[in-house]
Amino acid sequence: MSTDREIAVDYLARVEGEGAMYLKLRGDEVLDLQFKIFEPPRFFEAFLRGRKFWEVPDITARICGICPIAYQTSSCNAMEHASDVELGDQLKALRRMIYCGEWIESHGLHVFFLHAPDFLGYQSAIDMAADHPDAVQMGLRLKKVGNTLMTLLGGREIHPINIKVGGFYRVPSKAELQALVPELEWALGAAIETTQFAAGLDFPDFERDYEFVAMRHPDEYAVAEGRIISNRGLDIAVEEWPDHFEESHVEWSNALHARVKERGSYHVGPLARYSLNSDQLTPLAKKAAADAGLGPTCANPFKSIVVRAVELVFACEEVLRLIDQYEQPEEPFLEVAPHGKTGHGASEAPRGLLYHRYSVDDDGLITDAQIVPPTSQNQLSIEEDLRTYVVGRAQLPDDDLQWQLEQAIRNYDPCISCATHFLDLTVERE
Amino acid sequence: MTRLVIGLGHPFRCDDAAGLEVANRVQTATTHQNMTGSYELMDLWEGADDVIIVDATHSNSPAGTIHRFDPRTRPLPTGTFASTHAIGVAETLELARRLDRLPPKLAVYGIEAGSFATGTDLTPEVVAAIETVAKEIDNA
Repeated sequence: MSTDREIAVDYLARVEGEGAMYLKLRGDEVLDLQFKIFEPPRFFEAFLRGRKFWEVPDITARICGICPIAYQTSSCNAMEHASDVELGDQLKALRRMIYCGEWIESHGLHVFFLHAPDFLGYQSAIDMAADHPDAVQMGLRLKKVGNTLMTLLGGREIHPINIKVGGFYRVPSKAELQALVPELEWALGAAIETTQFAAGLDFPDFERDYEFVAMRHPDEYAVAEGRIISNRGLDIAVEEWPDHFEESHVEWSNALHARVKERGSYHVGPLARYSLNSDQLTPLAKKAAADAGLGPTCANPFKSIVVRAVELVFACEEVLRLIDQYEQPEEPFLEVAPHGKTGHGASEAPRGLLYHRYSVDDDGLITDAQIVPPTSQNQLSIEEDLRTYVVGRAQLPDDDLQWQLEQAIRNYDPCISCATHFLDLTVERE
Repeated sequence: MTRLVIGLGHPFRCDDAAGLEVANRVQTATTHQNMTGSYELMDLWEGADDVIIVDATHSNSPAGTIHRFDPRTRPLPTGTFASTHAIGVAETLELARRLDRLPPKLAVYGIEAGSFATGTDLTPEVVAAIETVAKEIDNA
């Protein structure tokens, strides 16, 4: 007879924010499984109401200290969409450059500091540093390269202040950007080494048939703009997001669960981007992926560390290309007037698709806001990964099973702080 | 000998600014103010061979208590709070120790805060401690 067994992780380590996991097993059977997000709700959507439309990039940047550019870009995209304004090529290039800086900083942190310790058997990167000092030093320097780029283009590295609806307050000169080239060239080589390092790790034999959802751009690996597509035939403009996706609340999470209407869970992030758009990667990124043994798609979530490394190569290579082609635009921004309109914006945050929608009244004040971060969208997929992963592994000792399940959560680099900005409170009275 | 004083803290969280205030008052060394006290500390002290870090502490001691640590001898005590977006001062020092990036001479001062509320008011005992620490650094 099987006895019931509980594995509870009250506080997940090496994720951004406060979350927990609860699993109840009877033999091989999963009786209950919850990926809990208990970080308090943050009410961003509520307190954006009544604010001026041009405040969105500065307010939403505060949602995350790791991926502020994602929030700034999606919110600017939404206001520009409402105004029917499209940025010129060089302003778009600058937006893509700073976004790549954020990918470098965020992926550098995740690969070396949050995820690698799982594979190498350390509790933290600090423990890992004694045995793998070169890897940790490389991670630190890569993160710094990303931060330097964000500081030049954004005014500062955390919660940048130079992002404006319609462009930037100030744009850099070509010389300022060229000064970053030597360090970016180092970073490109380091990113290729990172891919080799990641590819050499041991991966559980585990794949799932995900619905991958990511943006796609006709000409480039989508980062700051594009349509939303999936491997189940979805191909929609960003403003059609509400027609195809829905959010709902479950009692064990302060972050809304998102699903594709009629189909259910889906997967956003590096694995989705890679699997949908690997044909558009830059040449060295394609080579790094092939050398790492990746095919055109990747459905093993544990290999997300390899895909993040490939995206590091892409981001460095892409910034170098953009700097080479850069010509300082005459105006740092375009006038944007979303008065009386609703706009939708999306972009590819390091952790995946980030969708924003805003309605603005005739005075330029926000009347309604919706922000759907990647971690909310991945919650169902994370829970399904855990349920599936346990099958055939339930006999593992608790410590081993817990370690592997935590690792399965960190595959998503979940940003719990980002995900908990919303609580829908309904009071029923009779 | 290159001497560097790094004051840590947030300027708008009352006594949390204690480290920044010490950096403002020190006359005899290069000073730097920093809000996060994380990985970037290692870059900040690169090239300096005598580094002093000053930060506010929260250890249930009376406000204004001055704690003196020699992290080269033993690790700093760590609390329960850790930012999820970065690592704290104690963790950064441990990381630097393992990477052999600790400065040759390093001292850490902690000034016990009375309040971490929003605002710019400093507790009188904390102001006194700020002045004591700044003088001690200048006279050392």
